[in-house]
Amino acid sequence: MHEMSIAMNIISIACKEAEKDGASSISNIELEVGKLSGVMIDSLNFCYESVCKGTLAENSTLSINEVTARASCKKCNHTFEIDSFMALCPKCESYEIDILQGRELKLRAVSVN
Amino acid sequence: MCDTCGCGSDSTTFRKHGADHHHGDGHHHDHAHDHSHEHNHSHDRTIAIEQDILGENNLLAQRNRGYFEAKNVFAINLVSSPGSGKTTLLEKTLATLKEEIPSAVIEGDQQTMNDADRIAKTGVPVLQINTGNGCHLDAEMIHTAYGELKLQDNSALFIENVGNLVCPALFDLGEDKRVVVISVTEGEDKPLKYPTMFDAADICIINKIDLLPYVQFDVEKCKEYALQVNHHLQFFEVSATTGEGMETWYNWLKEMLKK
Repeated sequence: MHEMSIAMNIISIACKEAEKDGASSISNIELEVGKLSGVMIDSLNFCYESVCKGTLAENSTLSINEVTARASCKKCNHTFEIDSFMALCPKCESYEIDILQGRELKLRAVSVN
Repeated sequence: MCDTCGCGSDSTTFRKHGADHHHGDGHHHDHAHDHSHEHNHSHDRTIAIEQDILGENNLLAQRNRGYFEAKNVFAINLVSSPGSGKTTLLEKTLATLKEEIPSAVIEGDQQTMNDADRIAKTGVPVLQINTGNGCHLDAEMIHTAYGELKLQDNSALFIENVGNLVCPALFDLGEDKRVVVISVTEGEDKPLKYPTMFDAADICIINKIDLLPYVQFDVEKCKEYALQVNHHLQFFEVSATTGEGMETWYNWLKEMLKK
């Protein structure tokens, strides 16, 4: 259940920035979550709901932009979209691929008022 | 337990073998004030942040890494599901190498001193972290723990993470190498079921190979699956109980210490 720690980090970063800005509440938090980040979005939403209570972010919404994963083949340099760590290069069928994107776990922006 | 957010971070305890425990002071995240601010902004506005959500942990992990580098401490983070034999592997490794390699151990479990008590019998300094409800160790816990252990220069630090093949994958502790342990009494398809952990590891130890005649575990298949997830993985096939294959693991450790 590492999503609980992640939800706490999100609230911590967002509240710090909102306070710095003199905001009285947070209405939305925008995240970027890679498909291979190891985070379950449903579980993150669930944890977020309980963690935001009693903070500036109480009643705020969480917008999650899921980032697709892409890899490049070490053998033939082909780049392609993948949906798991076990992907094969569609061109030469090699497993030796480097993941280019999809591990993101980022807080992009906070909407405040 | 923290009243405001309900987090369990101050339920973490740090205990030396045979000593009283104390609670970690690792509760650094900010809570909102319970009073309203005077600022009167009428419109919603958006603040761009662009920060890594695990940025604080990553930063602390880098600080740990810097400390280890300065003292020439080779730090290993051992991860696996519960029962793969991490503690036995450590007991055997320490018993064999303690004269050659000064070592220290950080044990992570939700509860009990059991593992630290086992390690203490080898004579190597050990600190037990009990995470309470926590499912993984983080960089701050490691920072507190090595402060208490007083690491020697030119030594090895073994960190045995909480037995969990999911959560510890995301938390960098500042280690040099992450070692995932899998035992032959588990399924050979573990790398496919828990790819995030195998992706985040540098080394894969296949343990309990003395039991291969009695179980249906295809070592080659397991390695093939693991390489499909992470083609950089290096393997050791061992039995910590009988000592089979352990020599290669010891030689690798000694090589790493020399670097």
